[in-house]
Amino acid sequence: MLLYGLKRLLHVIPVAFGVSIVCFMLIHIAPGDPLAAILPSDASAELQAQMRSFYGLDRPLIVQYGLWIWRALHGDLGVSIATGRSVSGEIAAASVNSIILAIAATLIGFTLGSFLGFLAGVFRGGLVDRLASGISMLGVSVPHYWLGMVLVIVFSVHLGWLPAMGGGPGGSDGRAVGWDYIRYLVLPAITMSVIPMGIIARTIRSLVADILSQDFTQALAAKGLMTRQILRHVIRNAAPTAISVMGLQLGYLLGGSILIETVFSWPGTGFLLNGAIFTRDLPVLQGTILVLAMFFVLVNLIVDVVQGTIDPRIQRS
Amino acid sequence: MMDAVPNPLNQPGDPRDRGGPAQPLLSVRGLVRHFPVKGSGFLKPKKVVSAVDGVDFDILKGETLGVVGESGCGKSTTARVLMQLIRQDRGELLFDGESVGGTLPLRDYRRQVQMVFQDSYASLNPRLTIEDSIAFGPRVHGISPRVAIDRAHDLLHRVGLEPGRFAGRYPHELSGGQRQRINIARALALEPRLVILDEAVSALDKSVEAQVLNLLLDLKRDFGLTYMFISHDLNVVRFMCDRVMVMYLGKVCEIGTRDAIFDTPGHPYTSALLASMPKMDPAERTKVPPLSGDPPNPIDPPPGCRFHPRCSFSEDICTRMPPGVSSAKTQHSVACLMAEPGGLHSRAPALQESGS
Amino acid sequence: MAAIITQDKAMAVATVARSPGYWSGVARRLSRDPVALVALGLIILLVAMAILAPYLAPYDPTKASMIRRLKPIGTPGYLLGTDELGRDMLSRLIYGARLSLIMGVIPVPIAFVIGSAIGIVAGYVGGITNTLIMRTVDVFYAFPSVLLAVALSGTLGSGLGNALVSLTVVFIPQIARVAESVTTQVRRLDYVDAARASGAKGHTIILVHVLGNVLGPIFVFATSLISVSMILASGLSFLGLGVRPPDAEWGLMLNTLRTAIYVNPMVAALPGVMIFLTSICFNLFSDGLRSAMDVKS
Repeated sequence: MLLYGLKRLLHVIPVAFGVSIVCFMLIHIAPGDPLAAILPSDASAELQAQMRSFYGLDRPLIVQYGLWIWRALHGDLGVSIATGRSVSGEIAAASVNSIILAIAATLIGFTLGSFLGFLAGVFRGGLVDRLASGISMLGVSVPHYWLGMVLVIVFSVHLGWLPAMGGGPGGSDGRAVGWDYIRYLVLPAITMSVIPMGIIARTIRSLVADILSQDFTQALAAKGLMTRQILRHVIRNAAPTAISVMGLQLGYLLGGSILIETVFSWPGTGFLLNGAIFTRDLPVLQGTILVLAMFFVLVNLIVDVVQGTIDPRIQRS
Repeated sequence: MMDAVPNPLNQPGDPRDRGGPAQPLLSVRGLVRHFPVKGSGFLKPKKVVSAVDGVDFDILKGETLGVVGESGCGKSTTARVLMQLIRQDRGELLFDGESVGGTLPLRDYRRQVQMVFQDSYASLNPRLTIEDSIAFGPRVHGISPRVAIDRAHDLLHRVGLEPGRFAGRYPHELSGGQRQRINIARALALEPRLVILDEAVSALDKSVEAQVLNLLLDLKRDFGLTYMFISHDLNVVRFMCDRVMVMYLGKVCEIGTRDAIFDTPGHPYTSALLASMPKMDPAERTKVPPLSGDPPNPIDPPPGCRFHPRCSFSEDICTRMPPGVSSAKTQHSVACLMAEPGGLHSRAPALQESGS
Repeated sequence: MAAIITQDKAMAVATVARSPGYWSGVARRLSRDPVALVALGLIILLVAMAILAPYLAPYDPTKASMIRRLKPIGTPGYLLGTDELGRDMLSRLIYGARLSLIMGVIPVPIAFVIGSAIGIVAGYVGGITNTLIMRTVDVFYAFPSVLLAVALSGTLGSGLGNALVSLTVVFIPQIARVAESVTTQVRRLDYVDAARASGAKGHTIILVHVLGNVLGPIFVFATSLISVSMILASGLSFLGLGVRPPDAEWGLMLNTLRTAIYVNPMVAALPGVMIFLTSICFNLFSDGLRSAMDVKS
């Protein structure tokens, strides 16, 4: 287990290194002088020179990367052009909201998806299966940002039950996690849950159908051990895959939350990223992408190791 | 006609024959092939599987050499190295006296040596029609499409499949026996002198197997072929082969004429294999299983003679000293200390007096 | 003997029975799948609508009018209402099919060509080359696709070209991974060894024996990406990263109409319906193609 974890970690390091290079290069593929990208347009000549030497822009690319990654590893991702505040601070504040949203969405999506997938797998080929497959097909095909708008139209504009947008009282600064906060969370979380729901439903359906058609469950049924025992078997055999799919989806949602956070003005990392794109605030853009991508790599690693622990067969591949 | 039908070229007078009938068609010298074990060498010591570990033998012109042994003994690896699908780590192949990859370029060698694989389905491209599969080899060697297709149709006829019915079909529409006939036709399309049959009939039903074996004998006679026949079925080997080679854990145990191997086996492993053959006569049936357990792990082969942990004649010397191949009789060589005249094993024959 | 064979051969060549090929079997199975056929029909209609937009649209999609802003659905003369600048929604939805389909569909075939080439070479050559290529692919694969698309087009700036480049880069690693794993499987099969044994060179084997057996599965995977690509492309426009106003594109229309949800929600939601419809059609067609190409079923 420890050895396997260590192996996965050593496998992940080159990937993480590559990810950091891609993020570093973002500043350099941006059109125009990189300095213009990280400084306000009215910066004084003195400040320009200062920043040029701070970022090492007069040095070779490899030195610049070294300086940048060294600072990043120490939590220094530069300063926001728009607000003048530290990028890492902004990201830290936004991350909490994003993580809460992603977890809420994953839990909703996992519950609904498992339920749908389980029904479809048990009654495979029947009407319930077709209905569930149809719903999960709609789930993976729907443009979720549009679904968010539709939910706002129904529940906020028409019925007035829930707030349309924002991050609750206090916005992104004070996080009083209470009933008010949850009221703001409901719509974005439900919208977001549609993405993993379809995928989890499909996964669970094929797992359940697979296990039910295997010899050992057939044998259990033949022995007269009825539904409860078979159910236990199904759950025990499907759990490792289901959990790993859920973990991966959590990672995707964290990294891919920009559209939904924009629709609902939810003060998370995606919303931060959207603002940075509009103001062309490249330090924030670069930092946020680095953090989100690294987080995704980390989630993948954890899922791998956890799955390898639950199901040792996977370690061999 | 000459361009389309491979004619009996290997008979005396084959223009490609160089060394005459006495020279072996293929000589294998000191062949070694190791495979790294996946996942080793990283936080663990590097490990290798010695699939083939120092193998010498000859395939004589016009003969059928049988190769037998349990699975994992290196039969298939030897075949793939002979076909040069994988390269040897050490050792040399001499084809009719010429060094393969040296004086004989690989491309010319491959025209003269072809192979039939065990899995009849996996060895045919599912997206090509039968005639295209057979014609592929000749076309690679610059034969015009028309002529190559003609040759494919002739070969289909020769392997007992009517071209009009089969040429335009796909592999999945045929039975296993039909597919294996097509694989044989494909191997013959390049007019090879040596055909390696790697468990070529093992996956077939017994009745189909007999038909294909007879077909192979007919083709050998008509085209003057030489076969290397790999099989785990000793009855089939006895039926097909002139000489037999027994392999165990990447080494040659014994090699000799069919009668020598089947009637007077010299190696305890060969005897055990023969004893494990199903017998028709109930009186001949053995009560005790002749070979117990599985072959040892080829990653860590036992020292000395590799067969000693399973050998009932094993002595202390066997765990320390690997046997050499006795070359006293070319008809029959045995790699066992018991067969070494004057050897250290208590059952070894005494050295004969010189001059007697 | 020779004469018999010659005669036989002459007859055989004249009357070789041809089995239908693999692709005609796929077409036959697909033609029996009503869902896939309906989806394909709708896709063809959408494409036709995009091509024939000037003849179908009742108005100029960019002609604004301050006096008829945000008319509801069913307004005489404006069947689907008007947008926040008083432009005819029906005309904009019809014209919007052009840019939306271009942005959503084009990146996939480009990524299919590049990704397949990378993956097939990596899979066939194996060894160190494979490791180097696939580790590089892994780096791009380590970004969630939305994030990578937003990162690239956000840095490059808005515009159709940049959005196309970003989406293509997002899909290349995904396709390359599938191509590599399929090719690695095919390369181990005996018929590839048999082809090598016949003395064929690497590129001949790839062309004759590998491509025909790997392109199908890669193609199916690529078609399943079109639906993702449609959503992602419109998403970029929705964020202001794709096409620029006043061009008609469904994602961008959704963005500019966001503020109108309090005034005329039905009109505001219309562009999303188009994206949804297109995405479902591509998904259903891809599913149908997948099962039609699965010989076992």
